[in-house]
Amino acid sequence: MVTPLDVIKKKRAEAVSRIISKNFLATKRVYVGMATCEIAAGSDEVMQVFRDALEKGKFTDVYLSQKGCAGRCNLEPTVEVIEVGKNPVRYGKINKERAQQIVERHLKNGEVINEWTID
Amino acid sequence: MTEEFVITICDGTTCINHGGKQIQTALQEQLKLNSLSDKTRINLSGCLGMCTKGPIIVINPGYTIYGNVRVEDIPEIVEKHLLEGKEVARLVIQEDHLYNRFFRIFGDSRFFGRQMRISLRNCGIIDPEKCDDYLALRGYEALAKVITNMSPAEVIEEVKKSGLRGRGGAGFPTGLKWEFTAREKSDRKYVICNADEGDPGAFMDRSAIEGDPHTILEGMAIGGYAIGADKGIVYIRAEYPLAIRRLKIAIQQATEQGLLGRNILDSDFSFDIELRLGAGAFVCGEETALIKSIEGGRGMPRPRPPYPSVSGLFDKPTLINNVETWANIPVIILDGADWFNSIGTKTSKGTKVFALAGKVINTGLIEVPMGTTLKEIIYDIGGGIPDGKKLKAVQTGGPSGGCLPDKFIDTPVDYESLTEAGSIMGSGGMIIIDEDSCMVDIAKFFLEFTQNESCGKCTPCREGTKRMFEILTRITEGKGEPGDIEKLERLGNMIKKASLCGLGQSAPNPVLSTIKNFRQEYEEHIHQKKCRARVCSGLITYQITEKCTGCTACKRICPVAAISGSPKKMHTINQEKCIKCGLCFETCKFDAIEKV
Repeated sequence: MVTPLDVIKKKRAEAVSRIISKNFLATKRVYVGMATCEIAAGSDEVMQVFRDALEKGKFTDVYLSQKGCAGRCNLEPTVEVIEVGKNPVRYGKINKERAQQIVERHLKNGEVINEWTID
Repeated sequence: MTEEFVITICDGTTCINHGGKQIQTALQEQLKLNSLSDKTRINLSGCLGMCTKGPIIVINPGYTIYGNVRVEDIPEIVEKHLLEGKEVARLVIQEDHLYNRFFRIFGDSRFFGRQMRISLRNCGIIDPEKCDDYLALRGYEALAKVITNMSPAEVIEEVKKSGLRGRGGAGFPTGLKWEFTAREKSDRKYVICNADEGDPGAFMDRSAIEGDPHTILEGMAIGGYAIGADKGIVYIRAEYPLAIRRLKIAIQQATEQGLLGRNILDSDFSFDIELRLGAGAFVCGEETALIKSIEGGRGMPRPRPPYPSVSGLFDKPTLINNVETWANIPVIILDGADWFNSIGTKTSKGTKVFALAGKVINTGLIEVPMGTTLKEIIYDIGGGIPDGKKLKAVQTGGPSGGCLPDKFIDTPVDYESLTEAGSIMGSGGMIIIDEDSCMVDIAKFFLEFTQNESCGKCTPCREGTKRMFEILTRITEGKGEPGDIEKLERLGNMIKKASLCGLGQSAPNPVLSTIKNFRQEYEEHIHQKKCRARVCSGLITYQITEKCTGCTACKRICPVAAISGSPKKMHTINQEKCIKCGLCFETCKFDAIEKV
């Protein structure tokens, strides 16, 4: 008999494959905070910078996602760049201009911009 | 962040007792020996919840967890893992709790490392508008597990065993509440999520829902299964449009996936969830007022008993829990009540979310194991007080709570310890107050809020808070009279005793606790007409000092032309004309204006 646990495991497998099909395994995963507090701090514009960069087709190795608030109120908007095999990079106080820099320097050239990272 | 490796050492009590500190020293020595000190950062974390396998160290990148580490193992770990890039297989442990997903991304930082994310485990790491993201992190598995393997009674037993207590503030044992509702016989029962977050400055529930709405839905469905209800309602304030939108999306996604609605996951269990929007009245966070509001009536509390577990929404047995409480449920089911029970203090289990605000460097939303001290929260996580100022007090519990002076800084946060110290846990507001804040003014701020929000049903609360507010206003304006403090105490104690609901019973707390701990400040205001923090405008005067360069900026901005003086000469303030608006003080670029 198929139990609810079996059903949920199947659903999870499907969900995982759907996420993977959206390029989740790309080398760089970018998360932009999009809770009320982050949006109030200007994360909408930051998100748009990353969306534009991806849409223009410059990147095939980047996965972009929004996320809720992780809790760094005084450093919002926050952006994370996660790469397998490397320490996660967390940026704080990101605005349009800084986002553009992250696209150019970090996503394109792999340079971690230390002055904006938070620990 | 130029380092190649981040090594997190568990700094929880159990790990320290098992030699955590010696391991830290050994590690530092080994790193030095191998010239790795510059490439490696050591990060101390709070309890990692793997106490039976301590001491624990975690190495990033890769998030390798080593357990039962002894000092003798350190050279091997450094050589093999850091130099050769190979894990020391015999020490690797595979313990993977739900909170670890968050820790993987954020755990190597000072701010997050000290925390433990149970209810906020997915906030900030998944896309809250994608059901797939939640499913991928074992979402709805807890619900599937209870439907498949557990009877409703077993679910309740598990929740009881976990020791979880209501996170809305009162701390009533959640499992007992479930049991009381489950044992009632009725054709219809309801499950309610109280998301009517009203404390000024609090945003725990909003962030939880905006970051991970599915968790709440899953928790509620499990509650429905346990008590035999097929209908759930989230009561959320209309001021949270984004949270509402994400909840709506989540409900729709869950229904489409067969995770809510009829015959959930092809079983016999059915459960629906709908939203009810509150208009933003603080009193509607009180459960009986909330229920009245859902029924369409005016949000006013009624006497209990009967408790909602017996007669709640539409007079049916109703299970009502806070957002954070619901978010803990899936973890208890999947990670187990025994594990949950191992975190926290003797009487308070698990973690608590706080909205850390006020005069602290890192303001933010934090979740820490019960028993973490205020000191750890303020200095380790919060980073201390800005500008080298001195800590004066910590306010917890919002308008229902109290102010603890700095001597209570070693108080562990749990329900009993905070109550004993003279405050309350509350729903999670935590405001740090430094020496620049006036305690009378802070008490006045909270009272202004509660007297506004009093529903008016009980005269002591309606009239009493108003009178208290008037007295406080008088004191801060420099018109305080001898006997005012006693009057405040008498009124406050009476309001506490004679009010029906939690709002009135707790409204005087900010005043009473500041009188108790900072009585001298009240006395100074009344007798010496002095505000030591120089906040109360009625008690200060502005004066221009010799630093004045005669730039005329203050003269130009003064709205009542109280400042006189010719350019490049020292100016003066006419105290009779001055309305103490403070504009000159803010405008002066030379710090030449003083508050006296």
